[in-house]
Amino acid sequence: MQDPRLRLFAATVLSIAAFASTLGAVAALIWWLVFTPRIKALPRSGVFFSLVAMITVTALISEWGGGPGISYLIRMVVILLLAAWAYSETQEGEVLSVAVWALGDRIGFEIGLIAEVGLTGLAVIRQDIEQARIALALKGNRVGVLTIVPIAVLLIITQIRRADDMARLLVVRGYTLGGRICPIFETGSRDIPAALSAVIPGVFCCFPLRDVFILLQ
Amino acid sequence: MRVDIEDITLSRGRITLRGSGTFGEGIHLVSGPVGSGKSTFGLLLAEIIHPTGGSVQRHGISSTLLMLQFPEYHITCPTIAEEVISWGLDPDDLLVEADLAGRADDDPFHLSRGELKRLILACTVARNPDLLMLDEPFSSLDCAAKQRACRVIEGRREGITIIFSHERAILPQVDAIWEMEGGTLKALGSVPRAIPRWRHAPPYLTYALELGARPENIRLQDAREAVCRIRG
Repeated sequence: MQDPRLRLFAATVLSIAAFASTLGAVAALIWWLVFTPRIKALPRSGVFFSLVAMITVTALISEWGGGPGISYLIRMVVILLLAAWAYSETQEGEVLSVAVWALGDRIGFEIGLIAEVGLTGLAVIRQDIEQARIALALKGNRVGVLTIVPIAVLLIITQIRRADDMARLLVVRGYTLGGRICPIFETGSRDIPAALSAVIPGVFCCFPLRDVFILLQ
Repeated sequence: MRVDIEDITLSRGRITLRGSGTFGEGIHLVSGPVGSGKSTFGLLLAEIIHPTGGSVQRHGISSTLLMLQFPEYHITCPTIAEEVISWGLDPDDLLVEADLAGRADDDPFHLSRGELKRLILACTVARNPDLLMLDEPFSSLDCAAKQRACRVIEGRREGITIIFSHERAILPQVDAIWEMEGGTLKALGSVPRAIPRWRHAPPYLTYALELGARPENIRLQDAREAVCRIRG
């Protein structure tokens, strides 16, 4: 999906649908299968399956305690798939453009800039983890439970330092509040059908599952 | 003891790495501009990443170590002393060596980038691996610290030491020069014969060569001595 406005709309509606009900999650999953590059949009298998494993543990605990664990698992995995797709398609500067388009040069620019810095930070964190993994390997250690603390400390400190550097840089360049950009968006041929189709899971999530089966009868 | 590189290729982002040659015992300098693929090449030689074509073959090498460009990534412990111990070294001797005596209980993140670089350089050299690779060991260091780092590197007379650096002012005495440009590694040969062929040579060496001098090595003092020789 080329148009970041439609992508944001679709991701938001589908995430709400997937979070609200299992039926909404299944419908969102079908949408994901039809309109995204599917596996190509996923992060590295190690990262993806680690996240799925964490969700699964929570779901199992919930199920064991009598809660809706399986439903939670399905809904969260679908949200994860949608997040991976939205993140993989996001280009540099798009979030700022969408925020300015939606909310203007003042508040929109502020929100967009914060979001843009946050997204850049995610990419940097990924590189930091990779470098820390290499450094650990050089010392003969592998990434595991015992290395979580030093890696987390490294990430927190480097991110705080980078945020501080960036804040100083913005001040040095005279940044105070808001800014002006002229966002230009390109809409692909499949963007509008995909965005409109995303509304369907949104509608589904409003119905309880048993009511749908009653309607089908 | 040697590392043979046979027609390796590796595509990584915008860069495609290519290279052939043999790194024998001694100190090798791989020079080249920022972004030319030096760090990636270091990862290849350390076998952290693997080439898509060709091969890296090590002969007689039982231990390898790579010092990363950004020393923060090496930190795994809450105090400087524990950090040194995590390298399998005695902190008392090493902290004196790294000019950080009395700071054993400090947090490594409280050190400046230069101090941290000094600490990690001292740790990697003290481990004395057969193959030591140093990625930009002079960046973030002041002139005095660069000269000190040069002496530490020059003190390593055994094994293979490969320095990946864009530094063009303060350099150690080396045995061979390699050049990296646009992802292609070129062996220029052993020093001093390689010096006239070195495209990224420091300005003082270029100046000496223009005057007709023939420096014995790549340090500023080598260029000075060569110029003095021709001027009598």
